[in-house]
Amino acid sequence: MSWTLPKLVPRSAPVILLILTLAAASGFAAVSHLVSRYNLNQQARGRRLYAAGLTEASAGHFDDAIDAFRAALTCDPTNSQYQLSLARALRDSGDPRLLDEAESYLIALWQRAPQDAAINLALARVAAHRGSIEDATRYYHNAMYGVWNSDPDANRNRARVELIQFLLKKNAPAQAESEIMALATALPADPASHLQTAQLFAQAQDYAGALTQYEDVLRVDPENPVALTGAGEAAYRSGNYAAAQRYLRLAANTNPQEAKVHELLFTTDLILRANPFRSHISDAERNRRITAAFAQAEDRLTECAQKNGVDLASAAATPKSASGEASADTTPTAASTASALAALQARWTATKADLKHLSSAGETDLPDTIMDVVFQIEQQTAATCGQPEGLDLALLLISQKREALSQ
Amino acid sequence: MSDPASGSTAAPSPQIPLQRPGAPRRLFSTLEGVFHEEVFFLILSVFIGIFSGLAVVCFRLAIDWTHLALLGPLPNSHSWRLFAVPALAGLVVAALVLHVFPGIRGSGVNQTKAALYIFNGFIPFRTAIGKFICAGIAIGSGQSLGPEDPSLQIGASIASALGRQLDISREKLRLMAPVGAAAGLAAAFNAPISAVLFVIEEVIGRWSAGILGSVVLSAVSSVVIVRWFLGSEPLFRIPVTTFKRPTELLAYAVLGIVGGLASVLFAKSIGYLRPRLKALPRWTHYFQPALAGLLVGLIAFLGAPQVMGAGYDSMDQAMHGQFGWRFLAILAILKIVATTFSFVSGTPGGMFAPTLFIGAMLGGAVGDIERIFFPHLTGSTGTYVLVGMGVLFAGFLRVPMTSVFMVLEVSGNYEIIVPVIVANTFSYLVSRALQSIPIFDLLTRQDGLILPSLEEDREEAILRVEDAMLPVPKTILNAQDYVDANARRVQDLTDSTFLVRMHPSGWSVISREQLLRLFREGKGEHTLSSILPVQCLPSLYPDLPLDAALRYVNDYPLVPVVNRANSRQLEGVISRESVFEKYGSSRAIQVPSAD
Repeated sequence: MSWTLPKLVPRSAPVILLILTLAAASGFAAVSHLVSRYNLNQQARGRRLYAAGLTEASAGHFDDAIDAFRAALTCDPTNSQYQLSLARALRDSGDPRLLDEAESYLIALWQRAPQDAAINLALARVAAHRGSIEDATRYYHNAMYGVWNSDPDANRNRARVELIQFLLKKNAPAQAESEIMALATALPADPASHLQTAQLFAQAQDYAGALTQYEDVLRVDPENPVALTGAGEAAYRSGNYAAAQRYLRLAANTNPQEAKVHELLFTTDLILRANPFRSHISDAERNRRITAAFAQAEDRLTECAQKNGVDLASAAATPKSASGEASADTTPTAASTASALAALQARWTATKADLKHLSSAGETDLPDTIMDVVFQIEQQTAATCGQPEGLDLALLLISQKREALSQ
Repeated sequence: MSDPASGSTAAPSPQIPLQRPGAPRRLFSTLEGVFHEEVFFLILSVFIGIFSGLAVVCFRLAIDWTHLALLGPLPNSHSWRLFAVPALAGLVVAALVLHVFPGIRGSGVNQTKAALYIFNGFIPFRTAIGKFICAGIAIGSGQSLGPEDPSLQIGASIASALGRQLDISREKLRLMAPVGAAAGLAAAFNAPISAVLFVIEEVIGRWSAGILGSVVLSAVSSVVIVRWFLGSEPLFRIPVTTFKRPTELLAYAVLGIVGGLASVLFAKSIGYLRPRLKALPRWTHYFQPALAGLLVGLIAFLGAPQVMGAGYDSMDQAMHGQFGWRFLAILAILKIVATTFSFVSGTPGGMFAPTLFIGAMLGGAVGDIERIFFPHLTGSTGTYVLVGMGVLFAGFLRVPMTSVFMVLEVSGNYEIIVPVIVANTFSYLVSRALQSIPIFDLLTRQDGLILPSLEEDREEAILRVEDAMLPVPKTILNAQDYVDANARRVQDLTDSTFLVRMHPSGWSVISREQLLRLFREGKGEHTLSSILPVQCLPSLYPDLPLDAALRYVNDYPLVPVVNRANSRQLEGVISRESVFEKYGSSRAIQVPSAD
């Protein structure tokens, strides 16, 4: 069987080219029609698969979602939404090997629309999965300053919050704090945003900033239990014990079941009662507090020494040994602990004689000298024997926030 | 191209007054003059590209549609469809190939070459239709073959059919098929440079402005058409590729060696199995594609559906590090097996895409293994996958230049050019050392055709004028001297012919006998320049191919060979005897065997 095409074409070049042009145009039109029909079918199929993928992704079935999005992309390979969704599913699947593919999809999308905030946010999340602070920060910033299709302010704040949480997780509090400050300047008036910002400040250990935000919430909603607790804790952590006492009492009234509030309130009360540097107290009260603190310090020192098996009396009698030359059956760490505790005991004993001059001290440095010994004992014993409780904890906190408390 | 009617020279009748032709007629006549054959052929190349592009768009839609209809949008392992569809489609394809389209078995590249060298550019149009239908079914159903070779042949068939319709010269008609092949391949790969290089490197085998212009025009126009309809998205999403330290070239060289070995394994498997399966009784030919399909289906069913079809999606995934090195290596081996059986069973389809697939998987596996032992290597899996593609292309298809440009064009990244060149060179050298006959030549010889091996042509030492050149003669006459003086110089010499230096430049030749006769005739007082013909001898240069000397040695007893920088400086002479002696000593026509 032989197939041959009949020769229909004349030999004149212009006529041939005219015929070829007409044939090409006809072919073009026919293929256009074919391709558009095919694309329509494919797009419809792609939409079905995409919807299925979204359902799977929202149910957390990322493997099935990936398959569905991939299938959707085979139907409509250039669809940005499908690519973005596939990239998100790949990223969220928990398989680190899929991050590369997710990133490549997103980079391709980003090259087409570098201003698109959603793409930048997705890239930022990939970078965050990888733990790259530099890339994540860059893409999060791009997302914040990019173009959002809807509700740009809220989306920008959400992106910034995500960045802050990532930075806090990566132990970059300085960068996080600067982002929180930026966040605080652009907050809407709703208490929830301020509450969230306050919590971020607190996570970044900027308790003063946190307190300001909690107070903003309390101005609108004075009985908000979360804000009261948060404000109390922030004030407590920042050394503002008077404010802490006020907020924690309110929090304890509002939410009496909260054990942490009671615990903080108890310590705060102790601090306020034990602090000899507090203004507006009489000399007699100050001296009483110093004397009580001094006695408490000795108890704490003795208890800590016993806990570590250190005999303070013999350690004091053999200061050379205690100061570093460990005996054969003592480890270097134990020896240095014994030495430090013995030195404190010696200092406490030496200062004890000055205690009786306290009432006549007037404007001398004696109260400070005595409290220095107390603080040293509390700090050393905290380092050696762990976090104290009760009055010892109060004295330790006073030592740490001394400057703030004296104001 | 001339229209006999418009070109008529008959005198007008005296009764009818001479009328001035109208504007359309004048325009028509002007156009007739403009479209001489060279220009016409270039324009025709654009149309070939357009038609080939349109055909390839339809072909790709056909494959996609078949795939969706038979296997679904994203086939999963352990689905009965994977097992059954390729085998059932194989039965259909076998029946079509054996009864309706018997000419579509074999490689489209070789059939295009055969059209160029043997059949005066003739490729039956039925081949295009057959390739379109059968390859569409085969690839769409998951046979481990690619669409590039059928696209190439569809383009070539369209071009050949068009050329035959237009009654162009035989020389141009022969070139139509390669021009169409370039268009088809460019459209299939969406890579015009690689297609042009491949056709020049593997099909035509020579560079000339005329051919290159046509091939480029057709390739570009077909790519424009494909991009118009199917978008300009590249075949792969290229990952970040890096090449930082020159010492890492050693790692790529190892990849090249491994790729070369894999190429040899692949080529030898095909070379061994193809003639044996072809020689089996005819009834078995009905089942061979089905059995190949069953094998591919089984591989897919058991957990590697990536081996089905062209596999571009899987290459893309490998590029982004989604497979571990073990799975990459397994995929490379399984693809060699699947493609070998799909191809040798006579199922229409090409080996370009499978070659890229095997190279990609092998590259990824080798790169990952190397990084286990040398963690400081900076190349990503994607980089090795890309380089691996070129490696197999260079080693298996034996087109080193195309392989380099193909990787660069597909990746759009020139940072990896050095690793690609190094790896491809090693792969090519290993493949050449272990498999003397390139795969396309092997297939041609198995089909009983003897086509020029373009790799052998490239490697063949060219005889040059300097190889047959005789030393500068001791006696050179001067055209300004008198005949009697020259006659006295030559009368005691035995040479029969003497070169004459003309003034101010150029050379002539005179025989001893002629010179002595002039002397005897009393023309001793004349200078040689007044007697010898004004037209000088043609000159040759030492670096010219010896074939160039053949044009002159029959007409002139001696042909001067002069320096290119100074045409008055004689480097030697060429004579008929010296040329034939050189050819006789170095050239013998050898008929290659198919083994």
